[in-house]
Amino acid sequence: MELLIIFISALLVQNFVLYYFLGICPFLGVSKKIDSALSMGLAVTFVMSITAVVSWLINNLILIPYDLGYLQIVSFILVIASLVQLVEMFIRKISPPLYQALGIYLPLITTNCAIMGLALIAALNEYSFVETVIFGFGSGLGFTLAIVLMAGIREQLDLSDVPEPLKGAGIALIVAGIMAMAFNGFIGMLT
Amino acid sequence: MSLSARMIIVLTTVGLISGGFLAGVAKLTKERIAMNMQAEIEGAIEEVVDDVETSSVLYEEDDLTVFKGLAKDGDLAGFAVQATGVGFQDKITLMFGLDETLSKITGLTIIDQKETPGLGAKITNWDAFLQFWEDRDATGLLILRKPPARRRDELLEKEINAITAATISSRKVLEIVNLSLDNVRALIKEGKITKEGADGN
Amino acid sequence: MATKTIRAEYLKGLWDENPVFRQLLGLCPTLAVTGTVITGLAMGLATSFVLIFSSLVVSSIKKLIPSQVRIASYIVVIASFVTIADQFLKAYFFPISKALGPYVPLIVVNCIILGRQEAFSSRNSVGRSLVDALGMSTGFILALLVLSSIREILGAGTFLGYQIMGPWFKPWIIMILPAGAFMTLGILLGVALKIESKTKRS
Repeated sequence: MELLIIFISALLVQNFVLYYFLGICPFLGVSKKIDSALSMGLAVTFVMSITAVVSWLINNLILIPYDLGYLQIVSFILVIASLVQLVEMFIRKISPPLYQALGIYLPLITTNCAIMGLALIAALNEYSFVETVIFGFGSGLGFTLAIVLMAGIREQLDLSDVPEPLKGAGIALIVAGIMAMAFNGFIGMLT
Repeated sequence: MSLSARMIIVLTTVGLISGGFLAGVAKLTKERIAMNMQAEIEGAIEEVVDDVETSSVLYEEDDLTVFKGLAKDGDLAGFAVQATGVGFQDKITLMFGLDETLSKITGLTIIDQKETPGLGAKITNWDAFLQFWEDRDATGLLILRKPPARRRDELLEKEINAITAATISSRKVLEIVNLSLDNVRALIKEGKITKEGADGN
Repeated sequence: MATKTIRAEYLKGLWDENPVFRQLLGLCPTLAVTGTVITGLAMGLATSFVLIFSSLVVSSIKKLIPSQVRIASYIVVIASFVTIADQFLKAYFFPISKALGPYVPLIVVNCIILGRQEAFSSRNSVGRSLVDALGMSTGFILALLVLSSIREILGAGTFLGYQIMGPWFKPWIIMILPAGAFMTLGILLGVALKIESKTKRS
């Protein structure tokens, strides 16, 4: 039950993009078309789930027992950078067409605040192993949800008459604001 | 020197230098940080228990800690309970005080919350909510009073003022306190805490 | 590429290449901690600290690092300074550290910092890199100040905690919420582009 709460919370109530403001760069950059948004979202979810596992292991098997808490930031970001490299090589081997499709998005995942944010927040909340994995998976899906919704809206926006200065990032942010308001409605859902 | 060797040496050196540097910084700041966290707890205890001078932990578990507070002359000043529970937006951590007989609440303060800014977040500093936590009856269930009473003597001893436009967060605080009181009463029954303190003092 | 004067190198960070309004970098913290001016300012200063020192270190050792491992090295350098900033805040400014929460460690993935190392510090002298970092930092702090001032004044009626709007003012709470952050930034971006296009035309 607690796990379900963590999952729904990460997906909707405390959505990584619309509540925690994580993953904004890809959110604005990759959300122009629904299929690329979906691919990016799923790739991020995949990396986030693995990151959840590895960051929990590092934090609880090495950093905490040996009082190395101050190395948390350095170790987490190095893990994430390496994981993204590995995922990139893995996808290249397993499915070259997929690799082609994702193109430069993959290395960009490293600086995606969402992944680092996931590792940090899970550690901050002192989640157990299972809770961390569910949290990672849920927040990845939350990110995917936000980015796909945004892509859907933007595909429509491209066809309409947006004032020149607001084209691109400006209108995207305003739309994000409206989406955030909508998602606000999910608060209290878990009470 | 081959490229691979150079790569490995550079990375290792950079890693070692950073690691060493960070270890040094950590050492310098460790005490101060621990002090800050300690001060936060002690500050909260001082706010909710009258005349307390020193405090010690009586019982500790996840999300619930019971402190014993001693006055300047060493006499029992009261108890403080720190509890974490589910709020409206996220978890709320609070501290409330109990008198020496464990039957009256002597005050409440919020330590950590992430409620809606400007609305639910009022639980941190809304006087009509916080001040009216004094002298509450701790032997039974506390209930919410809304609309809120204007003067403390209008409230029944088991009533707490709700904050207008922040009713849900107020209710969440109330629920956490009620739950903690239940737990504390159970702990007393099991003998884990006694009115005299765990060390029979 | 023509070399700029030192003055131009610094000033570009304030407007032409402002990291937030023109380059659209570092948006995560910009949106997250600009609910009040004090947190926005603290984040700006912390990020500047990391940017300036990382740039100094990277540009000092740039000749020693083989290209293949440069990103990893930059990351270690940046992460170290972020850790120092985080520890410092926790030790000496505990309430602010609590208010900023996980966003201080997140400075390590602030695209501005890694971006500057890759684009500038790794190819320029220590002196120039310092000026570049100072300019970018100033631009970033300015952006945070503008955004947080708007959000705090309209959302709570205060500035740096001091009440400046009279009792007649009913705060627009939405400004402190995520939605307000997004929309304010979106509008500010629009304003910035409008000003830019006007000055280009004249």
